[in-house]
Amino acid sequence: MTTPILQVQGVTKDFGGLRANNAITFSVEKGELLGLIGPNGAGKSTLFNCIAGVYPVTTGKIFFDGREITNLKPYEVSRLGLARTFQIFVASGDLSVLENIMVGSFLRTRSRKVAWEKAEEILEFMDLTKHAEQWVSELPVAAQKRVAMATALATQPKILLLDEVAAGLNPTEIDQIMDLIRMIHYDRGITVMLIEHVMELVMNLSHRVIVLDSGSMIAEGKPEEIKKNPEVIKAYLGERYVAQQQKGV
Amino acid sequence: MELIQNIFDLSDIPRKDLTIFGVFCLFLVVFPLFPHSSFAMATMIEFLMFSLYGMGWNIIGGYGGQVDLGKAQYAGIGAYTTAVMLIRWNIPFWVSAPVGMIFAIIWSFVIGYPLFRMRGHYFAIATIATSLVLLDIFEIWPLVGGAKGLELPLKSMPDFLYLQFRNDAYYYYILIFLFFFGFFYINWFRKSRLGFQLRAIKDNEEVARSLGINAHWCKIKAYAIATSFVAVVGSFHACYNFNIEPEDIMSLDLSILIAMMAMVGGAGSLWGPIIGAAVLIPLKSYLGSWLGGKAGLAGLDLAIYAIIIMVIAAFEPRGIWGIVEKARRRSKI
Repeated sequence: MTTPILQVQGVTKDFGGLRANNAITFSVEKGELLGLIGPNGAGKSTLFNCIAGVYPVTTGKIFFDGREITNLKPYEVSRLGLARTFQIFVASGDLSVLENIMVGSFLRTRSRKVAWEKAEEILEFMDLTKHAEQWVSELPVAAQKRVAMATALATQPKILLLDEVAAGLNPTEIDQIMDLIRMIHYDRGITVMLIEHVMELVMNLSHRVIVLDSGSMIAEGKPEEIKKNPEVIKAYLGERYVAQQQKGV
Repeated sequence: MELIQNIFDLSDIPRKDLTIFGVFCLFLVVFPLFPHSSFAMATMIEFLMFSLYGMGWNIIGGYGGQVDLGKAQYAGIGAYTTAVMLIRWNIPFWVSAPVGMIFAIIWSFVIGYPLFRMRGHYFAIATIATSLVLLDIFEIWPLVGGAKGLELPLKSMPDFLYLQFRNDAYYYYILIFLFFFGFFYINWFRKSRLGFQLRAIKDNEEVARSLGINAHWCKIKAYAIATSFVAVVGSFHACYNFNIEPEDIMSLDLSILIAMMAMVGGAGSLWGPIIGAAVLIPLKSYLGSWLGGKAGLAGLDLAIYAIIIMVIAAFEPRGIWGIVEKARRRSKI
């Protein structure tokens, strides 16, 4: 067995007296599509931010691609090949969509021409060509999410961390974004880890799902197992989801 | 090769704008050939100087979004380096200006490293503070003449090495050269890697950091570039005025005026500082000469700047160019 691309070993994160993450241990294999779910306040985003270097961890270690990245700065982690998106992608309108993506592609080159070509290619891949000259703030939410993903993708990551890319989208748009994530994963061979509230998306896409509740990891397994796990149902999915499943929705 | 292409690449700019700019440049080049008052010439020289100051400020303040109200300290470093080197060692402008630039850049690292840990208003206030501290130091420092300032020894004019001329047209054409140099530098910079990274930081620093950008270091680098523009114009100022005083070249007034050029014209745009200087400098010159004659009204020009700043902040933070761009977008949609 090859070494996992990302290993999280006993990561604990305290904010003052609040324990946001409690001794979380898991790993992500190369080429895997991993889902991370949990109710609001479970510590999913905190865990993302710890991995991406936004927050220093209180205790524990994180390894990426064979080297320790615990407490590295976000830009250092990003340079190693770990890209992430943000839940809220705020842009003041200083950069066009194309320019936003070029910011990402400039990570791997100094040449304007190379950065531009890479951005054009990703623009097309993410179906954003017609928006190239627009400001991000002018776009519909679904397109904004694609810009966020495209910009992260332009840094040519080995692993992509997606933070609620489907939040606020309608069912058609969710289908589109699912296709995109599949394309990123299968066509580009990028390992993907996603935080998501939209169950349909996580359960359909993920090879494996990790469940957080109140800062601790309560379950880990294939989507079908997670759906049946009583702990998870109690903590997160609730009775309604169970009822839906039984009705066959 | 790609570099040369990039420097002169104006392909993203509408043809109409380029035509207007071309006509304006033509006017700049031929202006001294036509009859003009010495007052008009002095105003044009000031316009060019402030466009260059503004271009420098625009790099960190406009593209980088870091409002810097302490640029006068770097103008002072440039001016004093040129003056002191001339007085003590008889060194010409073309040597002392680059040296002044290097001093200014070193000082900008010393200031920038701690100051860029601060954001927004705190950064702006801190830049004012450092500039005022340096002003106070220069006012009591004997080497630089203290509060009296320095008088430059006169050479036999015209002197191209020491930049001393009786006819202002010489100064004018040297500035024109610097103006085009500055313009094309900014044109390259705005689409360079650092330019993109800086604009990304302005947009959203957290996102920028996640894209592999060391925001702190990027700001320091951009600050140093902005500083070199200001320092060179400061050196030029010393040669042009023949004497410099700390209250004149390092004052808060100058810092604010420098910032106003790009803010009024359009911060973060290629044209901003030029438009700002073209509007504000004639206004300042003519208003100043008109008000200067009237007792009790001196200082009213400062009040007028304050009003302009408030109007811009309230209605269109992207300045005159922002209004133009908004109108264009509206007509397109």
